[in-house]
Amino acid sequence: MIITFGAIAIFFAIIVLILHLSGIKDRNFTEYAVGGRSFGPNYQAMSFLNTWYPGAMFTAFGGMAASAGVISFYVLSYSLLTVVLMYVMAKPVWVWGKTFELRTQPDLLALRFDSHHIKTIAAVVGIISGIPWLVLGMQALGTLFYHLSLETLTFTQSVMVGVAVIAFRQIWTVRMGMRGVVISDMAQGIVAYIVGTAMLVGLIVWMMWTRDIGFDSLDPKMLAIPSIGSTEGPLYVFSLILTGAIGGWCWPYIFVRLFTANGVKSLKQSAAIAVPLSLVFCVALLVFGMLASQIPGVSDAPNDVWFIVSREAGGLWLLGLAGVIVLAASMGHTDGNIQATGAQIANDLIGNYWKLSEKQLIVFAKVGMLWLTLLASWLACLELPALFQLAVLAYQGIIQLAVPQFLGIFWKRGNKYGAIAGMTAGFITAVALELVFPGHLPWAYGLTSGAVALVVNLAIYVGLAYLIPQSAAERQRVDDLFEIVRERRDLAGADVDPQPVVA
Amino acid sequence: MDTDGTAPRERAPWITAWFILDAVVALAPPLYWAFDGKQTPILGLPAPVFYFVAVATFIAASIVAAYVSEARSGGLGS
Repeated sequence: MIITFGAIAIFFAIIVLILHLSGIKDRNFTEYAVGGRSFGPNYQAMSFLNTWYPGAMFTAFGGMAASAGVISFYVLSYSLLTVVLMYVMAKPVWVWGKTFELRTQPDLLALRFDSHHIKTIAAVVGIISGIPWLVLGMQALGTLFYHLSLETLTFTQSVMVGVAVIAFRQIWTVRMGMRGVVISDMAQGIVAYIVGTAMLVGLIVWMMWTRDIGFDSLDPKMLAIPSIGSTEGPLYVFSLILTGAIGGWCWPYIFVRLFTANGVKSLKQSAAIAVPLSLVFCVALLVFGMLASQIPGVSDAPNDVWFIVSREAGGLWLLGLAGVIVLAASMGHTDGNIQATGAQIANDLIGNYWKLSEKQLIVFAKVGMLWLTLLASWLACLELPALFQLAVLAYQGIIQLAVPQFLGIFWKRGNKYGAIAGMTAGFITAVALELVFPGHLPWAYGLTSGAVALVVNLAIYVGLAYLIPQSAAERQRVDDLFEIVRERRDLAGADVDPQPVVA
Repeated sequence: MDTDGTAPRERAPWITAWFILDAVVALAPPLYWAFDGKQTPILGLPAPVFYFVAVATFIAASIVAAYVSEARSGGLGS
């Protein structure tokens, strides 16, 4: 236990040391919320990866590959497809963000649709939907500490240790804001996805050479993709990939990455850097999971595959490294979630109705982050049997932000009526369908509740765009917004003077 | 451009076409149905694994190619 817990303690101390050496001092709320829009492509790439891939990748998706096989590869498809979306929307989002001093995702919706209310709705949906995932992330650390304690702690005790560690880590997230998150993402990301990939490849080679494990010895059912006649339905994989790809950018902590870059060029370069890393990491993880299904003990506890194989291959030292890698990935995701939520509480809820100074915004953001950390830590220590279902429900709900977000960025015609009505109807439809048909719509050929609700949402948005035409003034305002993006074509990487936010 | 139009485009048409193809190869159900349960190895990988890895490589290549192309043409600014 000294080896495994010692490895965790050393890694934690290194991250804290890096943060202290960086000497972060936030002068205003833009510094605190989006790091002063100052990060280059390398930081952006690693920050995106560290927020996108949580520690649960090694447990939940590694476990899915070990138990269900090739269907787990849907995470690879949507994780790369979402970077295409990032590439395409990088310019309009960054230029509007810089020009109008936008700090959060609801800021952008408020600007595009000229509505205070949409800002509140988007923030509430984002914050509430994020909490189950934050709690699940904290609870997932229980698996880590259960194995690192060499199974001497009970699972409940392990969850409490994990919650304590990640809550303690938030001291630096609260103090240092987005700049602290992105700087630590670099160190954590190198450990989680570069060292992690190297270890995955090493474990694959170990399994093939010492255990004679290969694809040819796999159970044939591991190669099934839900198709015509399957239980899940022929459109199940389509639905998972579509909602995963577009839904990723609906999460506030992912979307805010578009505002932390120092220019459009950095954002696009970060996409080009992140995507090969993402490809190699994800393929290595899923192939590892599939092959490891043949290691004794994995089929009984597939979510523990990463720890079981690491310990068997390299003893306690490798188990310790496996724990450090999962913690590094977990820290990045949890920090990003808490930081973005705190900024939203201050900027989009309190700041949407009361005029706050920059200093007050920072104070409210810090209080919000502290409150969220305590709430999530408390919830994570409770037994919540419906938590996973709640998290699935939250995902089907939050992807309803996609319609006003993407159409608002790329189509001039939509209006706030369609955006609010479509998003609200989509959210209610998704929740109702999920409650009536939990996890599976038997009549929808495998489409998830969120995908069906997206159709309703889209129909309302487009319908109201034509039924309620924009006024001449609104049309001009939207034209001007799109013109700003066009005019900044040659200034994409250069500084742009900020203008007052429209909300 | 009229008010019903979309945002002005500056991307090379072949990049836009590649991005659209990314979505098609990743999402089109008949493509993944065709690999369901196939055990025939392709380049050493079972066919369904090969399908997903090939799609992912195709998408990754499109982003790298788009960035290199736009950087070379000066379309990314300074």
